[in-house]
Amino acid sequence: MSSMLTNPLRVGLRQERVIAPQCLVIFGASGDLTHRKLVPALFELFRQRRLPSEFAVVGCARRPWSDDDFRARMAEALADTIAEHKHAWERFSQGLFYEPADLSDTSTIAKLGERLDAIDRQRATRGNRTFYLSVSPTFYGSGTRALANAGLLADADRSRVVIEKPFGRDYGSAQELNRIVQACAKEKQIFRIDHYLGKETVQNILVLRFANTIFEPIWNRNYIANVQITAAETVGVEERAGYYESSGALRDMVQNHLTQMLALTTMEAPGRFDPEAMRNEKAKVLQAAHLANEEEPWKCCVRGQYGTGGSKANPIAGYRQEPGVNPNSTTETYVAMKLFINNWRWQGVPFYLRTGKRLPKRVSEVVLTFREAPVHLFDAAGGAPTANQLILRIQPDEGAEFRFEVKAPGSGMRSRPVDMAFSYDESFGEPSDEGYVRLLADAMLGDPTLYTRNDEVEAAWRLYTPLLELIEDAPWQLPVHPYEARTWGPAAADALLADDGLGWRRP
Amino acid sequence: MAQLTLQAPTALPPEELGGYLEQLWQHDLEHSAGAATFSLVVWEGSWLEQQLVRSGRADGPITGLLSPELLEAARAEVAGCGLPISTAPMDPRLAWALGKLPGSHHTEDLRGQFVESAISAHMPRRLITLAPTLDAAQPLETLVAAYCPLPEDGGAGAACGDVVVLRGGMGSLQQGLDLVQPLIHHELPCWVWWNSSLDEAPEMLEALAPPTRRLVVDSSLGSPRRCLDILVDRIDAGQAINDLNWLRLRSWRESLAMVFDPPARRDALAHVVQLDIDVEGDHPVKGLLLAAWIADRLGWHLVNSYTVPGNGGGSNGGGSNGIGAEFERSDGQTVQFRLMPVPVGVPKTHPGALVGLRLICQRPAGGSPGAPLCVILCSESGGCMRLESGGMASMELAEEVVPLPNESEEMELARLLGGGHDSTNPLLAAAAPIAAKLLPS
Repeated sequence: MSSMLTNPLRVGLRQERVIAPQCLVIFGASGDLTHRKLVPALFELFRQRRLPSEFAVVGCARRPWSDDDFRARMAEALADTIAEHKHAWERFSQGLFYEPADLSDTSTIAKLGERLDAIDRQRATRGNRTFYLSVSPTFYGSGTRALANAGLLADADRSRVVIEKPFGRDYGSAQELNRIVQACAKEKQIFRIDHYLGKETVQNILVLRFANTIFEPIWNRNYIANVQITAAETVGVEERAGYYESSGALRDMVQNHLTQMLALTTMEAPGRFDPEAMRNEKAKVLQAAHLANEEEPWKCCVRGQYGTGGSKANPIAGYRQEPGVNPNSTTETYVAMKLFINNWRWQGVPFYLRTGKRLPKRVSEVVLTFREAPVHLFDAAGGAPTANQLILRIQPDEGAEFRFEVKAPGSGMRSRPVDMAFSYDESFGEPSDEGYVRLLADAMLGDPTLYTRNDEVEAAWRLYTPLLELIEDAPWQLPVHPYEARTWGPAAADALLADDGLGWRRP
Repeated sequence: MAQLTLQAPTALPPEELGGYLEQLWQHDLEHSAGAATFSLVVWEGSWLEQQLVRSGRADGPITGLLSPELLEAARAEVAGCGLPISTAPMDPRLAWALGKLPGSHHTEDLRGQFVESAISAHMPRRLITLAPTLDAAQPLETLVAAYCPLPEDGGAGAACGDVVVLRGGMGSLQQGLDLVQPLIHHELPCWVWWNSSLDEAPEMLEALAPPTRRLVVDSSLGSPRRCLDILVDRIDAGQAINDLNWLRLRSWRESLAMVFDPPARRDALAHVVQLDIDVEGDHPVKGLLLAAWIADRLGWHLVNSYTVPGNGGGSNGGGSNGIGAEFERSDGQTVQFRLMPVPVGVPKTHPGALVGLRLICQRPAGGSPGAPLCVILCSESGGCMRLESGGMASMELAEEVVPLPNESEEMELARLLGGGHDSTNPLLAAAAPIAAKLLPS
């Protein structure tokens, strides 16, 4: 034991719920997500002994691969990990299978059913099946229907279907998709995934709020002046231009990830930690949320698009110069907006959301700024006392910070702000699991707590409907402001807060 | 607790058992899917319950489940039976002592028909209970029932199972063993839960739990040597063995790991010089397993182990001998280990529950910065006065209270059954051989 880099007493101690014998069927098995996220997450679960021995993964796609082809491709994708865990991979890969299947071809789905029965017998998976739709969103409805028609979703206790984002393009399409999938399966079988909810720090918002007594009494309009939620990326559109051109930052980030952070930050305490109780509260608060000005949404929202930036030595291409992007594109890569929540807890508190690509820093955080002390008794070193802030850092440097005033050393009574910080790294020193590890395990456990329910998804889309309609019908009213790559977005976004006498926090 | 079968099981002559079950599935249940889950064979001694009921100290029926009332009745009898007050209610010596008391109360024996709902939720395809009776000469009774849980949402697709109970004296159960083997579905995993002392009926344990079956035992029940030998032998044989006593250590392992989660503390783990563990009563296995886990994780090599004389006799359990040992760290330094039994007024349910743990880390002079570190973990209900004494004023003290586990054996078992693991937990597999070596001959 020469190295103390990891805590040797922590190894193998996870107190996880145990997944029942299970067959996970991945549609879109030849795609990026399968080898980048899903199979690595499953292998991680396997290495952590959280998968039962009666377990199988069945990859499905149109390509005419064999089981061995699938195993070889997955092994190639995970080569670095496998190099360190060869024996584990040998055992894990015995449970990998492949069945050519096309969700639009009923005969291949029927054949898949027969193959799954055979794998059930071979691997003793007891008929427990989780179908993961990692396919084009256009197949979510028809794919679920195909599974239902083949009888693969008939047993509501043993079959589940996981649907990737985006769940719909707007309120109407989300409603329609919900109608289709709910006609095929019970709600408890449907798992709408948002990988942000798999993040340890996002879940920590709940623990921080509801496992401590000190925060909840001040977590309301009486003490909180405003809330900022930021998800900033340094990367550009990368290879996703095809998808991104039709979605933009509003659909890609705000409607799902930022809205989930908003819901967890603002929801009421559920009566118990139970999927339905949790999701009831999230749905309720989203139903109470609205744009700060629904009649004139352009007054409470700013869109932006990154232009060229960087230095002469390292120039960064603008969005319109990215491969696959329309040179005249008006797709937003940045959105900032102001919301309110009409309920007793939050009435009158502004919530500012922003997300963007090619910003200076990769950071996701929730910042709660408290009201100032009613009387300033002391001189502040910085001229004016800084309002207390609670900063929940989602990524990177996961943790939390509380900013408050203390007496500056010296003979006078001057105050200055200091930070009290909690860091996951310093306290635990172990990397957190990838979000998919947690979420896949939950789906196979049948625990939908961290998945979004139909009414939540619809409430989230409805919240942004005025903006989506405006972009569709009168885009000139919500123009796309250019901003230089690696800056904090367009000046108009700063003006959005300046109107309220505020500024964005510089993370 | 849930009653698995709504109807009373049908009593059958043993020779008709196989034929009856065949008919049951071919005719009565022909439209139902047999649960493709697992078989569960339970050796349900329930000696404590049987003796308490026979002697009139508890009411029936006998179910095989540990109720709070039953434990209360057992605790009340400890002193009267002349046992040390640190004797745990589940200590087999208590049942044995109760056996000497007069009484011949009879009650219904429903073992095998009641099961914790967490277990029944997994729908065992076949639950076979072997229920030995106090009357060693009692002839074999065989009882059979089928069950089809109603789906909560009223949907179709109920998967049915059946319950088989073999009840009788030890001799008749031995003869009935031939009936059990053909009842176990070969295509489904089979779990064997030895829910009794590991000292009893060794030939029965051998017959019921060959290496291909997944075995669940409780190493707090039985003589320490026998308990540890069974763990080690089964692990060596490649059998999937699960120990409820080991599972009950979970909160201790977690609490100790938590102390060293902050990276700034980790370095201290390389400089441990002393480990002390206090246990209730005189059953050391749980404490040894904890020490063995620490030794394995920190890469210590066992040099020797020896008996440490207890500090005087008396009826409070404080006179029992302890265990000492020396380990060698990977840097060649020595770690002293002591496990001592301590008297407690209200012992926990199982023998050998942990009272406290102390780990002293002596950072070398001129080496890593920081004062010596002393970690003390105490059980929620017990004090750690012994471990807190003795010159630790100059040390950095990290003291934690270990929460009591809130899960019953049945809940632990249900977690195992739900997971379908077919191998021994690697931490247990590594710790058990060290624990066996720690126990002096």
